[in-house]
Amino acid sequence: MISAFFRKKELKVRQEILKGIYEENLRIIGKKKGALLRQRTFSPNRLLLILCIAAIVVLAGGNYLDAPLLAEKQTAGGTVMRPLPSSAELPNPSDFKAFITNADVSVSRTFGLGVKTIMIDAGHGGVDSGTRGKMGTAEKDIALDIAKRLKSRLDKYGRFHVVMTRSEDVTLPLNKRVELAREAKADLFVSIHLNYLPSKPINIIETYYFGPSADSKTQELAEQENAGSQYGLGEFKEIIEKLGQKLKLQESRELAYSIQKNLFVNMEKENGNAYNFGVKRAPFVVLLGAEVPAVLAEVSCLSNRQEEKQLNTEAHRENIAHDLEAGILDYINKGEAGYGADRYAEKR
Amino acid sequence: MAQTDTRKKDDVLFVGIDLGTSRSSISAGNGKREWIESFVGWPKDFIALQVVGKPVLFGSEALQNRLSLDICRPLEHGVIKEGISRNDEAVKEIIRHLIELAGPASGQKIHAVVGVPADTLKVNKLAIRKAVTEFVHSLMVVTEPFAVAYGMNLLNNSMVIDIGAGTADFCIMHGSIPSEEDQKTVLTAGDYIDEQLFSYLSEKYPNSKFNKNMVRQFKEQYSFVRDTPDEIRVEIPVDGKPVMHDIKNEIRRACESILPALAETTAEMIARFDPEFQVKIKNNIVLAGGGSLIRGLREHLQDALKEYGPCKVSCVEDPLFAGSDGALKLAQDMPSKYWEPL
Ligand SMILES: Nc1ncnc2c1ncn2[C@@H]1O[C@H](COP(=O)(O)OP(=O)(O)O)[C@@H](O)[C@H]1O
Ligand SMILES: [Mg+2]
Ligand SMILES: [Zn+2]
Repeated sequence: MISAFFRKKELKVRQEILKGIYEENLRIIGKKKGALLRQRTFSPNRLLLILCIAAIVVLAGGNYLDAPLLAEKQTAGGTVMRPLPSSAELPNPSDFKAFITNADVSVSRTFGLGVKTIMIDAGHGGVDSGTRGKMGTAEKDIALDIAKRLKSRLDKYGRFHVVMTRSEDVTLPLNKRVELAREAKADLFVSIHLNYLPSKPINIIETYYFGPSADSKTQELAEQENAGSQYGLGEFKEIIEKLGQKLKLQESRELAYSIQKNLFVNMEKENGNAYNFGVKRAPFVVLLGAEVPAVLAEVSCLSNRQEEKQLNTEAHRENIAHDLEAGILDYINKGEAGYGADRYAEKR
Repeated sequence: MAQTDTRKKDDVLFVGIDLGTSRSSISAGNGKREWIESFVGWPKDFIALQVVGKPVLFGSEALQNRLSLDICRPLEHGVIKEGISRNDEAVKEIIRHLIELAGPASGQKIHAVVGVPADTLKVNKLAIRKAVTEFVHSLMVVTEPFAVAYGMNLLNNSMVIDIGAGTADFCIMHGSIPSEEDQKTVLTAGDYIDEQLFSYLSEKYPNSKFNKNMVRQFKEQYSFVRDTPDEIRVEIPVDGKPVMHDIKNEIRRACESILPALAETTAEMIARFDPEFQVKIKNNIVLAGGGSLIRGLREHLQDALKEYGPCKVSCVEDPLFAGSDGALKLAQDMPSKYWEPL
């Protein structure tokens, strides 16, 4: 039968082809596949390079042929360079994941118990001046000066490791600040900013911790302060929900209250127009890096003329640094004095 | 004998994978067929991770979140750029994800045939194997148009033209495994049409706001060559307000921009054979890949090639899965002695 003849022929062709594929694949892997395939990430070129290095090392007469040596690259100048980034060195997503899903973050820190590393973040910097007063005072400069003063005040205790996200007038994107805080394993994070309210001649003091905000003024402010990141407020809805469940944001609230109280009480004495806007929640990107507590304080208001003048005096800036210091210490000391879990109870 | 080999015990799951420049699909012996767009996205930083909530995203989900992600389209031009950015890793993620989608039973061994663009196989044979080996127990890599041909039983005197996104791949079958000369790749394919369309539209409507994605969607919805009675009008925002735009001519010009290279390459490849075979091949040309969906393309090619005698061009029925179905068939037909553990 014709069809039988064709079928037989077709089967033969098919077998030929299948065999051909098998052989071609063997060729691809150079027959000795076992040996080669195990070398997971090496391209032939890199393999060659490594073999050369290995040969040199052997020729040099050493039995130094061990992994650490191969993992480092010798430059001409003799300094040891870090190896090219391999997948292992790229930021490891699973670290982040572990962080997110780690529900009981630093319970010991909750009450300030293990506060060792304090990170101070001077808002804005470099090309980003933040707000500017009518006399030209820039938020970035005042924030940095206060941050430095706060650092040296805290340094005096000798029991904290105080680090700053920036100590100069440099541009520093928000995501970078977040990474810095994470790298430093900050136990406590304070971001220093200055407010600006064009419509009212008052001096507003307010302190924020991370969370959703329904009020449109706060949303606007968050949008301003987040400007250096590529994220829009819409994207924070999800984060806020997630964080709300995972992190104990109450810790941040406690710190925020403590700072706000100290800032305001003292500010009121100096500036009759000071208003206590209290502690609020806002989705500030920069607060995401530290676990908790992390707060953002609007320590003064550049739109208030009297305040702008005062901010240009060292004494006033030192005072604000002092208030921040007091707020931080109050928070820490309360924790250490053994205020129990009852501080968790809603009380304000 | 192939017949007995296909009925293997269930401790092996055969899969055929089409690793495409824009879409990748898997067809599995358990009946599962799935596809994803060949994009991989990793959160750019810690914040991004919190925004998207996962360490790796694929396809359209990755594109939607592209502001937060490092996006990688590893086979964009048909070739893995090894060592550059995270292409190798992206290929791995795609394979891992596709196999997950196929849902192998626990403990089941996976024997895979992977179809890749012809140039990928030429340049990155090892890279592809390395990317896949972690996830399968045994593996064969073939070219994409060959997998299509095998699946459609076009083993002899035939030609497959797979018009994908990054590349159009040609493959002539003459009863044995195609050599490098039997295969050719050109870069005038789907992405090329998108670029043309984008520039034609930018020229004609300089004040309208559209992006590459929108343009691709217009193309996929309205693509045609030669003529169509339909009007083609789409909404594009101008100053934030949607405005209707006539894009018929631009669609046509863009789609037609790939025709010369297609016809020429086809004629050129066929010309290498004896006249007797030429006639046979010309009556057995099959178009595959997303580009085969362009209205009028089949007819155009057929007419263009008729210049040199009779000719018949047809299209695969299911361009999305033709490659992975063919690869699965290959896997199932492959004698078990050829499946060597890795
Ligand atoms: N209806 C259509 N008309 C024209 N082009 C299409 C159509 N549908 C899909 N495409 C295009 O086909 C290409 C994808 O084809 P595919 O075979 O999946 O590519 P690859 O194998 O390279 O991933 C894309 O450029 C896509 O825009
Ligand atoms: Mg394809
Ligand atoms: Zn600010």
